[in-house]
Amino acid sequence: MFPKSIRWRLQTWLGFLLLCVLAGFGVTAYQLNRTNQFRQIDEELGRRIAALSSDVRGVPPFGPPFGPPPFAPGLDGQAGHPPKPDFHGPRGRPEDFLDSREIRLSPPTASLFSEAGANGFFFAVWSRNGKLLKHSTNAPPALARPERPDSAMHVHAQTEGIVREAFVFTELGECVLVGRAIRVDLAALRRFAWLLVLADATVLALGLGGGWFLTSRALQPVENISAAASRIAQGNLAERINVAETDSELGRLAGVLNSTFARLEAAFLQQRQFTADASHELRTPLAVLISEAQTTLARERSAADYRETLEACLDTAQQMRRLTESLLELARLDAGQDKLNRERFDLAGKARACLDRLRPLAAPRGVQLHADLQPVEVVGDPDRLGQLVTNLLTNAIYYNREGGEVTVSVRREDATAILSVADTGAGIAAEDLPHIFERFYRADKARGTAEGRTGLGLAICQAVVQAHGGTIEVSSEPGAGTTFLVKLPLEV
Amino acid sequence: MRILVVEDEPRLLRSLAKALREEGYAVDTAEAGDDGLFKAQSYDYDAVVLDIMLPKLDGWELLARLRQHKKTLVLMLTARDATHDRVRSLDSGADDYLVKPFDLPELLARLRALIRRAAGQARPSIELGDVVIDLRGRSVTRAGAPVTLTAREYAILEYLAVHRGEVVTRSALYEHLFDESDDTLSNLLDVHVFSLRKKLGAGLIVTRRGQGYCIE
Repeated sequence: MFPKSIRWRLQTWLGFLLLCVLAGFGVTAYQLNRTNQFRQIDEELGRRIAALSSDVRGVPPFGPPFGPPPFAPGLDGQAGHPPKPDFHGPRGRPEDFLDSREIRLSPPTASLFSEAGANGFFFAVWSRNGKLLKHSTNAPPALARPERPDSAMHVHAQTEGIVREAFVFTELGECVLVGRAIRVDLAALRRFAWLLVLADATVLALGLGGGWFLTSRALQPVENISAAASRIAQGNLAERINVAETDSELGRLAGVLNSTFARLEAAFLQQRQFTADASHELRTPLAVLISEAQTTLARERSAADYRETLEACLDTAQQMRRLTESLLELARLDAGQDKLNRERFDLAGKARACLDRLRPLAAPRGVQLHADLQPVEVVGDPDRLGQLVTNLLTNAIYYNREGGEVTVSVRREDATAILSVADTGAGIAAEDLPHIFERFYRADKARGTAEGRTGLGLAICQAVVQAHGGTIEVSSEPGAGTTFLVKLPLEV
Repeated sequence: MRILVVEDEPRLLRSLAKALREEGYAVDTAEAGDDGLFKAQSYDYDAVVLDIMLPKLDGWELLARLRQHKKTLVLMLTARDATHDRVRSLDSGADDYLVKPFDLPELLARLRALIRRAAGQARPSIELGDVVIDLRGRSVTRAGAPVTLTAREYAILEYLAVHRGEVVTRSALYEHLFDESDDTLSNLLDVHVFSLRKKLGAGLIVTRRGQGYCIE
């Protein structure tokens, strides 16, 4: 359930990404802070080590450089001599001298180490031979001289447990070390880390909450669409999705779905109308048959009466046959193109044959038939196209005025065969024109089925033309006549 | 009894009219809605048989307009058997409906029942002293013995019996018993009444001078 829900998947991804970003940010911030802190400590250490090592270097082998130093009475005898940096003086071996040298701190240096306590800086100075020459009182007791690295002239910094220390070796091999306990700094760093974790957790929670809110909002239209679609699926075809914002992606989707639903509903209503019409058209002749037969059988009749009844029944049965055939024809055409025969034939020849067959229909009405036929080879179903021509011609004759004219023409324009059937009848009213291809639509409702009209002729025409990939158009001028124009591609 | 049949299928109209006439009804016909409405408004038909799918004016519209002025009994014929079509028919003022294709005997029975109920006659027979009219079988007995009547005689007797206690004017009798295709001369009515009195007893049908006839 959860992994399939888009909302949960989005939440999971959002949470994962947030976690990555926050973790990266936190680690970076912690590292930066830590580096900064250590750099500050190291700078302090460096300042002190510079002062201290300068003091260490500044101590002359035989005494203080200027006057009697107040803190070193043992070197009084050397007072007044200029500084002589003679490291290989005559008093004993240099090693012994170096080991016994007394280091004194100048006042500024001493003040650097004066602050007492665990956080204070401490120092230690070793001789070349590793003898501890001097150290501050707060130096850790276990302090050992660090190993001499290769680049001894540089300040080296290292962390020993909770102590940060820096050391340097002087030219004489003395090791000067300055350190500081960093317990407080480490504690501050830990506090900072916890603060970061807390902040990250808060941001993560806010982010996930916001994400939930946003996905809920973003998915609300989807929920609406889904709800509307399921109501439509339950049979309420008039249902539509409520489109609040038409410009968003989901709004456009809803718009597209709505128009699809509208087309679906229209098709469904059309189908229902067709079924109702078809049932009406089939039930009425059945009603005629039953009522004729029952009326006639109610009592003894003369032979003429029976004959009349039988003729009426036969007529009605013929009408039902025409209707059934038309309905089947439409059903077959609805079924699709694969049922079409495909042959190459001359459309003009076909039109000529249809025209000749319909002359008996035209003659009693005094309708003149004209033909303007140029040979056009088309590929299609000859029977179906013949039916198309016949239906159009029958309509043209049937709806013509007494002594009117019907003109059928076939010609070719580029890759299109054009068939037109024009009559000089009463024309079709503008309000009927859009509907005349609808099944069972009769522009002239007064003229019912009595004269063999099924109300399906033009619907079949349209279906045949569409099955051949063509178009059929009608133009009509009330009082002057109607023209049907069929355009068929030469190759289907 | 005079009935109007409005139906656009000519053959069905013809056979319905024929069947109804043979049942003794006077029958007028109309093929289009507007024509049907005009006739239904012009006469007080005892019943109208009305198709729904009609040119010019459909059955529902015709019924709606007719109901603005008249309470004429209407039996609707419909080729639509969907429930909502039947409901719509009854709700728009039809008194009954039949779905096509229908059985003629059922149509006739429903018409009889409609007319009988509308006249406040729940039972299918009317007793006038020793004369009993069986509306269902269209037969008359006097003191238990069957009496043979012509269709016209029966129609006059039935109409007067259904409107028992009312004075029925001669013109009303004409309107209800003879349809638009009859060109019966007026004195034939007296001939039929004379014949009825001879067969069923002189006292049954009373003549009100200058007003009409009455069965008391």
